[in-house]
Amino acid sequence: MRKSLARIGVLTGRNLKEILRDPISLVFAIVMPLVLEILFYLIFHDLTAQFEMRYLAPGIVVFAQSFLALFVGLLLATDRSTSFLTRLYVSKARSYEFIISYAIAIVPIVLIQSVLFFVVGGLFDHAIFTVGMLFAVLLGLVTSLFFIATGLLLGCVCNEKSVGGICSIVIAGQSVLSGMWFPLDGVNQGMLTVMKVLPFRNATMVIQNALNGIGNAVDDLIVPIAIVLAYTLVVFAVAILIFKLKMKSK
Amino acid sequence: MIVINDLKKVYKDVVAVDGLNLTIGDGELFALLGVNGAGKTTTIKMLSTLTAPTDGDALIDGYSIVKDGDKIKEIIDVSMQETAIARKLTVEENVEFYARLSGQSKEEVVRSKQFVYDVFGLDKVAGKRAARLSGGWQRKLSIALALVSHPKVLFLDEPTLGLDVIARRELWDVIEGLKGKMTIILTTHYMEEAEALADRIGIMKDGKLLFVGTKEQLFERSGKTGVEEAFVAIVSGGAYA
Repeated sequence: MRKSLARIGVLTGRNLKEILRDPISLVFAIVMPLVLEILFYLIFHDLTAQFEMRYLAPGIVVFAQSFLALFVGLLLATDRSTSFLTRLYVSKARSYEFIISYAIAIVPIVLIQSVLFFVVGGLFDHAIFTVGMLFAVLLGLVTSLFFIATGLLLGCVCNEKSVGGICSIVIAGQSVLSGMWFPLDGVNQGMLTVMKVLPFRNATMVIQNALNGIGNAVDDLIVPIAIVLAYTLVVFAVAILIFKLKMKSK
Repeated sequence: MIVINDLKKVYKDVVAVDGLNLTIGDGELFALLGVNGAGKTTTIKMLSTLTAPTDGDALIDGYSIVKDGDKIKEIIDVSMQETAIARKLTVEENVEFYARLSGQSKEEVVRSKQFVYDVFGLDKVAGKRAARLSGGWQRKLSIALALVSHPKVLFLDEPTLGLDVIARRELWDVIEGLKGKMTIILTTHYMEEAEALADRIGIMKDGKLLFVGTKEQLFERSGKTGVEEAFVAIVSGGAYA
């Protein structure tokens, strides 16, 4: 167990360095969502409640997390496409150690995203500086796991050229199916049902409700978290399984 | 010692390695020659536990590649055909990463670093990111990383592929310096490489081992005086070992 943890630590350190030394990915995951947060607030917050900071900032936090799928998927797919990962397969590291190390390396980025988007949001609307903000940051770690797992799965099955395109579907899914960019009043029932059973809207609801306070704990928090976690566990399990198969097929 | 018994690998309907039998002694440098698709890399991948054999087995230091994968991983390392480095890490970080991944203590990491710096002269580029090194230095680093874990058995798959003459000769010196310190199995396309470095040579074609022996035995068997001519004669003639 100790040796396994030590290997995870070593692999995580390398993955984190690779991520932090990729400025373009950091721009996509941090700078671009931040610019969108500021622009959408300044332009639209007087027109619709959708873009008041108490809804916009949590939405941006989860939207930015969807870019992490691209981030981690690209890193894993690139490692797979070179002999780098093949060589590591000769080490005693297990498939789950590799997957966990890729996931943990993303956590600091998740924290930076959440704290930055909430703090900047709070500069425009002081009302969001509440205990709920801390709660939302913590739950942001939970919702990010779904996107990290999705990126890992795509990194396992796609090559470095195709992973970007496929991950953009996840980003588009988060944009459209989270309901953060448009009012849900006009959305038909069928679409709303789809949004309820998929993780995107639920992830956004978790962070919005954590920030703004919970009316009904079961409906507002527990059910959406359960749905996101269920997807997360399944996607992680499939990612580990496929990674293991790829290791053996080398 | 490596003892290979009837090792076989079949991919769908392609027989990549077909009943390989071979024994390689401790400290020996064994060169595996063959044209593209002969089964050299597949053999290396099976021996280094990267791919499971379809049939047969091999014992490395008494451990089975089929049953004792973890034990084998403790005593071997491999340098793949393609350069295998973490491109955004510096040379020093690469070496530290591999040393720590193989479970070395802080003191051992320092010693490993010094060892590969001494052998490959990597201290000159220690602070440079791997991606910014020339092809020759990247290849050196890639091979150096296979030595960080101080393996008893080292697999070098086409170690000098794509290098210029000077870089190739420098690597030959390094490999020559390792002879006797560990068992080395090297695959290569370059006949002169096998001639210069190997204690014994094996020639593969279509997954089968056509010849095993010293270069003198190879010349005697083929009736030729150069490794390249002897290789062509053996591969064209198809006389089995």
